[in-house]
Amino acid sequence: MKIDCVCTSWYASVRTLRPDSLMEANNDVALDIIITNVVSVFRTRCHLNLRTIALEGSNVIYKPEVGKVLMKLRKPRITASIWSSGKIICTGATSEEEAKLGARRLARCLQKLGFKVKFTAFKVVNVLAVCTMPFHIHLIQFTKNNRPIASYEPELHPAASYRIKNLKATVQVFSTGSITVTGPNVRHVAMAVEQIYPLLFECKSTMR
Amino acid sequence: MSSRVCKTCGCTDIDIDQARGNAVCMGCGSVLEDNIIVSEVTFVENSGGGSSAVGQFVASDGTGKTPVLGSGFHTTLGKESRAQTLLNGKRQINHLGHQLQLNQHCLDTAFNFFKMAVCKHLTRGRKMAHVVAACLYLVCRTEGTPHMLLDLSDLLQVNVYILGRTFLLLARELCINAPAIDPCLYIPRFAHMLEFGEKNHEVSMTALRLLQRMKRDWMHTGRRPSGLCGAALLVAARMHEFRRTVKEVISVVKVCEATLRKRLTEFEDTPTSQLTIDEFMRVDLEQECDPPSFTAGQRKLRLQQLEHELAKKIDEVQGEICSYQDEIELELESSRPKLKGPYASYAREDSSDDSVSVASGLPGNEDDADEELKAAAQQLTKDFYSELMPGAGEASRAEEGSEAESEQVVLPRYPPLASLLGPLPTAASLGLSESIQKCITEKDVDGNSENGELDLKGIDDDEIERYILNEKEVKIKTELWMQQNADYLKEQKEKEERIAKEKELGIYKEQKPKRPPKKREPIRASTAGEAIEKMLEQKKISSKINYDVLRDLDKKGSSPGAQPEETPSSPGGRKLSGRRKRNMAALGLGNPISSVGKRLRPLISAHVGKKPASSQAAKASAAVVTAETSQPVVVESGPVVYEDAMEEEEEEEEEPCVSAMQLMGGNDYGCDVDDDDGL
Repeated sequence: MKIDCVCTSWYASVRTLRPDSLMEANNDVALDIIITNVVSVFRTRCHLNLRTIALEGSNVIYKPEVGKVLMKLRKPRITASIWSSGKIICTGATSEEEAKLGARRLARCLQKLGFKVKFTAFKVVNVLAVCTMPFHIHLIQFTKNNRPIASYEPELHPAASYRIKNLKATVQVFSTGSITVTGPNVRHVAMAVEQIYPLLFECKSTMR
Repeated sequence: MSSRVCKTCGCTDIDIDQARGNAVCMGCGSVLEDNIIVSEVTFVENSGGGSSAVGQFVASDGTGKTPVLGSGFHTTLGKESRAQTLLNGKRQINHLGHQLQLNQHCLDTAFNFFKMAVCKHLTRGRKMAHVVAACLYLVCRTEGTPHMLLDLSDLLQVNVYILGRTFLLLARELCINAPAIDPCLYIPRFAHMLEFGEKNHEVSMTALRLLQRMKRDWMHTGRRPSGLCGAALLVAARMHEFRRTVKEVISVVKVCEATLRKRLTEFEDTPTSQLTIDEFMRVDLEQECDPPSFTAGQRKLRLQQLEHELAKKIDEVQGEICSYQDEIELELESSRPKLKGPYASYAREDSSDDSVSVASGLPGNEDDADEELKAAAQQLTKDFYSELMPGAGEASRAEEGSEAESEQVVLPRYPPLASLLGPLPTAASLGLSESIQKCITEKDVDGNSENGELDLKGIDDDEIERYILNEKEVKIKTELWMQQNADYLKEQKEKEERIAKEKELGIYKEQKPKRPPKKREPIRASTAGEAIEKMLEQKKISSKINYDVLRDLDKKGSSPGAQPEETPSSPGGRKLSGRRKRNMAALGLGNPISSVGKRLRPLISAHVGKKPASSQAAKASAAVVTAETSQPVVVESGPVVYEDAMEEEEEEEEEPCVSAMQLMGGNDYGCDVDDDDGL
């Protein structure tokens, strides 16, 4: 079984990181982990006048009650929340590279508006990925097997949530076999999927 | 009782009579002590006629913080905080539990959970109501009662997801594994609410069978159990010829109409729905159905496949046309003189660029170039380009205007292109190594950004210029924005004006976050005068105390001689009144004093020769109580020392007391009590 991450320049290096444990099964089925959202933060180390940005940018939403400006970029599709202290949060990227590129573009844009921005402390904070298993999952059995770590409340949410502490990742398992993984970076997300795959395999119910 | 030596005769034989409170020397008969302080439990009469013990329970851990009774007057008699919390929790649990009709065993278990939660400090920062509800729901789950989280949220009028969050946290922290909800548990409850009369049991059984069938058919994973119950009951009712409309079922089961209809449709899709009623009761179909989401997925897959096939057919046709095109072009090219070397592809690239639109990305350009060359090499080159040049691809995509730069970047990549068309595995390894190298170089690039300088690689300035409006647009936008946010701007102006005004007047209060009130230490002072001073420093100004009088007390301390008639009111009384003053300073004691005061009215008459009998007695009794309870405040070492001081102050107290009472305009008794309470 191979796990291929659909993210561009990391493609090759991921292949080399393929874990041996999963190479054993010769199912010849590839699991696609699709990264849907990457959240990152960075600082400009200078005070930003939100009113100027709001009035001179063409794609901004100013929220004075909260005290921030939302700026949306088209090229890497990114939405950024800009605070006057100079801290900026970027959401909506589909890969770590894209997130960095978008952040740099944003900083360049602010530079052009006249602020002395510096690009420091860039950090990817959260990565959200989805993955589909080729089988359905029996959630109640899954929760029973992994008692304290997994929790399932059908009254509240249709998915069972599994928290991996050492990776700081959360996996939400749906009965259709789709899972969503959130973690601090792409590596952790991949590792989380590797970890959880055998557990899910035990509780599979029907093949797709 | 410590055996002392009699002062008059030196005899050690001293008889102590607890009933009378005397210590008498057996040798000479002189009374050594009178009105011995009793340290037994005393009782007080309540307003209802019952009697309760006087005193407070203090925890043995020694961390007990006795609340200041002035403020905590109305709470449970000065118990420590933990006991109060538990009592409060118990009360709320019982209240909610009775509304849910839980039996006493469940309520006790819930209270145990609550105690555990309090020990683990889970009640901090959460509303007590939420924690209580979570404990109750935990009990419901472990016992298997048919109570839903929705019921609890109905009672409390709280969002069910908030309660759910608290419940999950509680279950996790207490390491209690709540068993999964079985929809079968809810059937009897809902059936009862739907009022099937005599046939209740039959309908329930049918509904149960239906539910079990649903479980086998994979309808219940990830769904709310109440929705399934509703659908099962509806069908069961219809089967037994009860007309229950969808609306009735919804009001009982608490799901919405859409959900119920959906469940019914899903059930309809299962083969079981095709059976007649009799067949259903007798036969249980062997085969299991697939989950409804699965069938929906299958349908989607089928549609996609159809689309694929159609697309393929179109492709085939196109492919044929393309191959004809290629052949023709090949022929044309072979007739033209060929350029060799890296610049050949450069030229090809140039021509293709002109022909193709600017908007397409590099892989697109390359594809066009390749298609013209060879149909077979197309796929390979596409893949390898995407592997090799994602970074370069971005660069060239971004800098569309400046072709020269892109070509320069692309240029060094071209030699491997030639070898790519040859053997594949070596090309693959080349591709990989190159991409790894690129990854490494990118890391170096990252190092630059730590300086804070903005790395402009890959950023198209022109495009970013588009993000910034020109002057005209800025003006228009400013106007629009001002109009839109007029209210907010007005508010801001008003706020600023207000602050400016307040600053002028000097009353400007900055909005600071509330700090928890500082806990004051009990005042330790050697003389009452000191204690009063300290109290005045600490405490805020109260309107019910005549401070001048209090201050004067200290100054008049030098005047001589206690009145001898005072003696029956005894050293004990004076000591106690001194202590009482100190306690007045340190801790306010509202309740015991008042109650004790009332009780001691009859006692006053017993004591002969007490002049300001009432006031003194009140003080004495108050002091008795306080002496028992607030031991640390009592200075055992110096009965002699401050007895003098007491005597003096006693005197002053005489006069100012009288005058104070006069000032208050008063009745002897009520005033004093008020005075204490007022503190």
